[in-house]
Amino acid sequence: MRGALRKLLGAQETGLIVVVVLVAVLLTSLAGSHADRRSGELVNNFWNSYTLIQTATDASFFAIMAIGAAVVIISGGIDLSVGSIYALSGVSMALVLRSMGQIGDGATALLGLVTCAGVGVLCGLVNGALVVGLRVHPFIITLGTMWILRGIAFVATKAESILVPPSLTAVTKASLGLPGGLYPVPMLCMLLITTIGTIYLTRTVMGRHIFAFGGNLEASRYAGLPLNRIQIGVFAVSGLTAGIAAFLGASFYGSTSSGDAQGYELYVIASAVVGGASLLGGRGSALGATLGALLIVLIRQSIRTLHFDQNYEWIVIGCAIIVAVVIDQWSTRLTAHRLRAAAEPARATTPST
Amino acid sequence: MQNFISWKRLGLGAIATFSLACGKGREGAAQNDRITIAMIAKSSSNPVFLAARTGAEAAAKAMSDSAKVPVEVVWLTPPQEDGQVQAQRIAQAVNDGADAILISCSDASKVTGAINDAVARGVAVMTFDSDAPQSQRFAYFGVDDIQTGRSTMAELATLMGGKGKVAILAGNQNAPNLQRRVQGAREEAAKYPGIQVVGTFNHIETPQDAAAGVVRVNNAYPDIGGWAMIGGWPLFTQTLLTDLDPKRIKVVAVDALPAELAYVDKGIAPVLLAQPVYDWGYVGVKTIVDKLHFKKDVPTIIPMELLRVTRESLGTWARKLRDWGFTDVPEAYLKRQ
Repeated sequence: MRGALRKLLGAQETGLIVVVVLVAVLLTSLAGSHADRRSGELVNNFWNSYTLIQTATDASFFAIMAIGAAVVIISGGIDLSVGSIYALSGVSMALVLRSMGQIGDGATALLGLVTCAGVGVLCGLVNGALVVGLRVHPFIITLGTMWILRGIAFVATKAESILVPPSLTAVTKASLGLPGGLYPVPMLCMLLITTIGTIYLTRTVMGRHIFAFGGNLEASRYAGLPLNRIQIGVFAVSGLTAGIAAFLGASFYGSTSSGDAQGYELYVIASAVVGGASLLGGRGSALGATLGALLIVLIRQSIRTLHFDQNYEWIVIGCAIIVAVVIDQWSTRLTAHRLRAAAEPARATTPST
Repeated sequence: MQNFISWKRLGLGAIATFSLACGKGREGAAQNDRITIAMIAKSSSNPVFLAARTGAEAAAKAMSDSAKVPVEVVWLTPPQEDGQVQAQRIAQAVNDGADAILISCSDASKVTGAINDAVARGVAVMTFDSDAPQSQRFAYFGVDDIQTGRSTMAELATLMGGKGKVAILAGNQNAPNLQRRVQGAREEAAKYPGIQVVGTFNHIETPQDAAAGVVRVNNAYPDIGGWAMIGGWPLFTQTLLTDLDPKRIKVVAVDALPAELAYVDKGIAPVLLAQPVYDWGYVGVKTIVDKLHFKKDVPTIIPMELLRVTRESLGTWARKLRDWGFTDVPEAYLKRQ
C-alpha cells in the first residue's frame, strides 16, 4: 500500500496535478462571483459547472491532439502538421457528408468519425513513410506537409466554411442528462482517449517499443525492434488523434474550414512538453499531455476570469510554459536525488558477494 | 517518507485554500445593478478594433450617466483571428455573467452555435462589422459588404477614366465579409467595358505581407493602372509611398487610418472609403443599452455609411481620428482646415 502511494506521489504527473489544482484554487479564490441569470443565486465566476465544463471542452481538442503529439515526441520525433491534419480531416468529413446527402443520424455520425479518423491516419502514414523513406528529419517533413495538407484543404473547399449536419452537433453537444447548456461529450472523449493512450503507452508491446526507440535508438536497433514500423506507427497515431479532435471540433462548432486550427501545433507541442514529454525522446505520457493542455487552457482562462488585459495573453502563456517545464525538470532532479539518497544506505548495508 | 509528507502538506494547503476560496465566492457581491457587455472583436492586433473599443468605452461612460446604471465593457477579443476561440469566449462571457455580447465574427458559421447558446441562456447578442445572419443575434451594425466592394471599384474606375487594368487586393481568403466585398468589386467592374480585372490577390493580413504582395503583383503585371483594395492593409506601411508612382497607379482602399493618410496627401490613394470604426463600439453599446435598459425596439440591421476621405477632407478626418483615440495621427494633418 505504502509502495503504491509512494509510486503515485513520485509520478511525474502528480506534480502537474498539484499545479493544476493550485491554479484552479487561485482562480476560484480571486474570480469573484455573479448572480445567476435564472436562479438569482450567487455563483463563483470560475467554480461553477458551466465554466468548469467549458474549460475542459476548450482543453479537450488540444489535449486529444497532444496525446498523439506526445507519442511522436516520446519516439524522439516531432509533428508540426497536426493543425493541418485537423483542418484537412474536418473539411474532408464535411465534403463527404455533403456529397452523401440525407442519411440517418447514426450513419452520419459514424461516417463522419470514420472519415476524420481515416484521413488523419492516412496523413500520419504519409508523414511516417516520408520520414522513413527519405531519411529526412521529421521536423522538415512535417513542416512541409503542414503547408501541403492545409493547401489541399484550401483548394478542396475554395476557402469556404462548410456547415456540418446538425445531427453531428447534436451528438457532440448532447447534454447526457445534465442541465441545459452543459456539454460534457468533448470532455468525456478527452478522458477516454487519455485512458486509451495511457494503456497503449504503458501496457502494450508497441508502447514499450516507442519508449525504447526514443530512449536509445542504437539499443533498439541491436534489440531487433522494427524501427521503421515504429516510426510510421507513431505518426499514424498522431494523425489519428488529430482526426478525432477534428471530428469533435467540427461537430461541436458546427462548421469547418481550411483555416481551422492554424497555429494549434505549437499549443499541442507545448501541452505535451509541459506534460513532461522530453524533446530528446524516451519520456512522456498521455496523462501528462492532457494535464499540460488543461494547464495551458487554465492559464488562458485565468487571464479572462481575472480580467487581466487580454493583450498580455501570449506573454503570460509563454512565460508559464517555460516556468512549468523548469519546475518539472527541477522536480524530476529532486526526486532522482532523493531516490539516490534513499538507495545509498540500502546499498551500503547489502553484503558484497 | 519525507517526500510523502511534503506532498501531504501541499495537498492540505491546497484544500484549505480551496475552502477559503469557495467561501469568498459565496460572499462575493452580486452585480445585478450594472450592465456588463462582453466585446469580442476579430483580433486585438488590428487597430480598427482598438478604435471600436475606445468607442465602446466612451458609449459605456455616456450611457452610465443617461441610464443611471453603470455600464461596463469587458474586452474579450482574441489576439489573432480564430472563429473557434471566439466561440469559446462567447461561452466564457455567458459563464461570467455578462448581460450582452457585442461581436465581430471571424467565421460566422463557427460562432453561430455559441451565439444561439448564449441567447438561450438569456444573454443578448449583437454583431458589428462582420455578421452572423443565421444566428439569433438581435441586431447587426456595419457596412453592406457587397456595396462596399462596388463603391471601391466605382471610385477607382472614375479615377482611371473608365479604362485600364486593375487588380483587387483581398486579404484573407477565408473571411466571408471580404469575399462579399470582392464579389461587389467584380460585379461593379463588369459595368465598365474599359476596365479589365487582372486578378484578385489574397495575402496574410499583415501590412508587410500585403505590401510585399502588391509589389509582387506590380512586377508581374507592369501595366496595372489601379488597385481596388477592399482593406487598407498595405497602406499601413510607408514602403508603397516610394514604390508606387501616383502618375501611373491609382489606389482606392477601404479604411482610412492615420498611417494611410500620407497616401491620400501624395495622390497615390486619392480616395479612401473610411468606415467610422469608432462607431462600431459606440453605436453597438448604445444599441444594447437601448434594448436592455430602455426596452426600446431596435432595428435588426443598422446600416453604417462609408465616409469618403480625400485630400480636401484630410484635416477634418485627422482630427476625428485623434478624437477616437488614435495617438499616431500626423501633426501636419491635424493643423489643416
